[in-house]
Amino acid sequence: MTPERIDKIATGIILGLAVMVGLVILGLLGYILAQGIPHISWHFLTSGAESFAAGGGIRDQLFNSLYLVVLTMIVSVPLALCAAIYLSEYAPDNRRTRLLRLAIEVLSSLPSVVVGLFGYLVFVLKFGLDFSLLAGALALTILNLPILTRSCEDALRQVPYLQRQAGLGLGMAKWRVTTKIVLPAALPGIITGAILSAGRIFGEAAALIYTAGQSAPVISYTDWNPFSPTSFLNPMRPAETLAVHIWKVNSEGLVPDARAVSNGSAAVLIITILLFNLAARFVGYRIKRRLTK
Amino acid sequence: MQVKTALEVKDLQVFYGDKHVVFDVNLKFPQHQITALIGASGSGKSTVLRSLNRMNDDLARVTGAINFHDVNINDPKVNVYRVRQRIGMVFQQPTPFPMSIYENVIYGLRLAGEKDRHVLDQRVEESLRQAALWDEVKDQLKSSALALSGGQQQRLCIARTLAVQPEIILMDEPTSALDPVSTSQIEDTLVQLKEQFTIIMVTHNMQQASRSADWTAFMHQGHLIEFDKTATIFMNPHEQQTADYLSGKFG
Amino acid sequence: MDDLQKQLTQPSPESHQEWTGKIISSLAIILIGSLVLAILVFLTIKGIALFTDNGISIWRFLSQTDWQPSHQHYGALPMIVTSFSVTILAGVVALPLTLVVAVAITEILPKKMTGLFQPLIELLVGVPSVVYGYLGLTIIVPELQRLFGGTGFGILAATGVLFLMILPTMTSMTVDSLNAVPKQYRQASAGLGATRWQTISRVIVPSARDGILTAAVFGMARAFGEALAVQMVIGNTAVMPKGLIESSATLTSVLTTGIGNSVMGTADNNALWSLALILLIMSLIFNLLIHLVSKKGVA
Repeated sequence: MTPERIDKIATGIILGLAVMVGLVILGLLGYILAQGIPHISWHFLTSGAESFAAGGGIRDQLFNSLYLVVLTMIVSVPLALCAAIYLSEYAPDNRRTRLLRLAIEVLSSLPSVVVGLFGYLVFVLKFGLDFSLLAGALALTILNLPILTRSCEDALRQVPYLQRQAGLGLGMAKWRVTTKIVLPAALPGIITGAILSAGRIFGEAAALIYTAGQSAPVISYTDWNPFSPTSFLNPMRPAETLAVHIWKVNSEGLVPDARAVSNGSAAVLIITILLFNLAARFVGYRIKRRLTK
Repeated sequence: MQVKTALEVKDLQVFYGDKHVVFDVNLKFPQHQITALIGASGSGKSTVLRSLNRMNDDLARVTGAINFHDVNINDPKVNVYRVRQRIGMVFQQPTPFPMSIYENVIYGLRLAGEKDRHVLDQRVEESLRQAALWDEVKDQLKSSALALSGGQQQRLCIARTLAVQPEIILMDEPTSALDPVSTSQIEDTLVQLKEQFTIIMVTHNMQQASRSADWTAFMHQGHLIEFDKTATIFMNPHEQQTADYLSGKFG
Repeated sequence: MDDLQKQLTQPSPESHQEWTGKIISSLAIILIGSLVLAILVFLTIKGIALFTDNGISIWRFLSQTDWQPSHQHYGALPMIVTSFSVTILAGVVALPLTLVVAVAITEILPKKMTGLFQPLIELLVGVPSVVYGYLGLTIIVPELQRLFGGTGFGILAATGVLFLMILPTMTSMTVDSLNAVPKQYRQASAGLGATRWQTISRVIVPSARDGILTAAVFGMARAFGEALAVQMVIGNTAVMPKGLIESSATLTSVLTTGIGNSVMGTADNNALWSLALILLIMSLIFNLLIHLVSKKGVA
């Protein structure tokens, strides 16, 4: 066989397999969406879940997922950003820095169920937070910190050294150079990274089943006092998220329309992640355009 | 002619990690004069310059004394931010900040806490005039500095440094990224500036040194070989190495 | 001292700024460092309690095949074997297919289409694992049941789910490492008269080998630690796996179902934490592996 013939055959096989794999994955996701989207209705999105009967919605789970993302971001963004600033602007090149980097890498490779168990042990039991949004948010923060720190550091490092040098040459403190010159320039990257990581934690479940809990108690959306036990804003209440809901409905299967509810929930989950991805691209693009104008 | 010393360097040594790159440099930079540091790339001239206002703090270990108003500013206890405000620096690449021309010029002043609009306006005009940029930009002070040409950007960076009212201005190959026209504009500007400022610049451009500098220091492989009036260095150098370099035997 | 000398030697607002910055950013990094330390310490203490407090021997824990906490039988071997089986199988299936997809994207398909794949892969990377688990439960398990009989739950179903889950991540990493191969290599090889396949198989893939292996180890690390998606399709019977479509249980699936059903501090509960410790240690080992694999590329 000539090399040209082998080349043709190999190319054919590669393309064939690649298309097959692509079609299988897209087909499966398409199936979920096709099954789920018809089930998404105003009623489905705005009514509470049912424990034993059919016709339940996902209002509380959807809200809990979003609220958890907000709480997690409030804790993790400042922390990750400051840590990233340390690593990119201050950290000397020595053993201690390498150790810190290793620690962050270890953190990023921990299975989320392990993080969930740690959260259960420390936040839920030791700190006495019980199953609560706050405990869940802290567990998600642990998952989010390494990814966010890395994306923030990457964004900071993309800013040319010349800009920093110009600021330092004017007698500005490094911190001032960082906050006034480097940070604005790195903002598109930081925001894009933050939105992408928000998408990731939106769909997280394993870290939450023993921290935020698996129950969605009755809450009132008109009670704006975050300290009231039935308020939707109360961070101390247990909260089942959308991803946990899918898992729970399927593993306990007490509702007769588990399939329909899961299909709908899975579709909502995928669409939301898609929105997060689009938002990240859009924001990054817009800010970049504004800054270069 | 007896000239006052603006900055005195004693036994300056610089190390990058274990690598010794500048050896025993002793120099007295005369006040209100332009001093050029020349030498081949890697001769340590930029390293010396960057040590003068502590820009090497994070990158290298610098020993020896740098005396400025009888204070050894190489002492880590000295307030490095004030040092850099008194001894400003203009870099090779023009680096305007992504904001308006006006905001760029007053950036350093804002840091120093100056809020008086009148003072700020006045200083912007003064600095831009000193940097010979005023006439070109006076009608577009609010527009983005990034829209300026390379030469204009570099003069803006000079104005930004001048606005803080330093005594000494360090320039690290300030024209190497510019075209010949912009280069000669900046050289003209330098001659104007030495009335009020002491200028120390690194250049790889021999004509530039001979045209603009009053004094010239020649460095080779981390050593200061010769320091004298520019005319003496170029016409009648004492050291063979200097003569060789100037005649293009190496470099 | 005159005014200027005073100015030069005394702190200014900028010095205070610098202190603020150093303190704030150091605090953040110290917090993260201590968090990692706390995780390692707490999980280790809980994880060894079974051996120190309840007197179970580590060796028996690791080698016995009988897991019945209610009868004080703590043999973790079935879960260890199952966890490794699903991980290795998923990795073995995913590695070649990842490579094929990545090569198709970077080397064969026109560049215009690459712009389309990038966001698509990003989306797939972001799809929550629970969704993959649910896919497995509703499509793979019934399909296996139809083909092979039985319940359909088991190692094969978990392998399928994990394969779907790690494929996008591995593909994205592999695409990156193939793209990092210098263009000149391709041109040089083509200039010597090599066909595209020869260039791919002899130049591009070998020079991206470390990146491809890193992607594989990374994917397998994720597969090993995945809990809910596996728990949904593995069947959850903590016995030595007898076949690929027999109900079994992984470390993660036992943990997921068990923690809620046992009381803190009891031997049953401690045994679960020992399983978690195995997970933790394995994630450290995977980390080490990634370092070893990718370090070779640097040297």
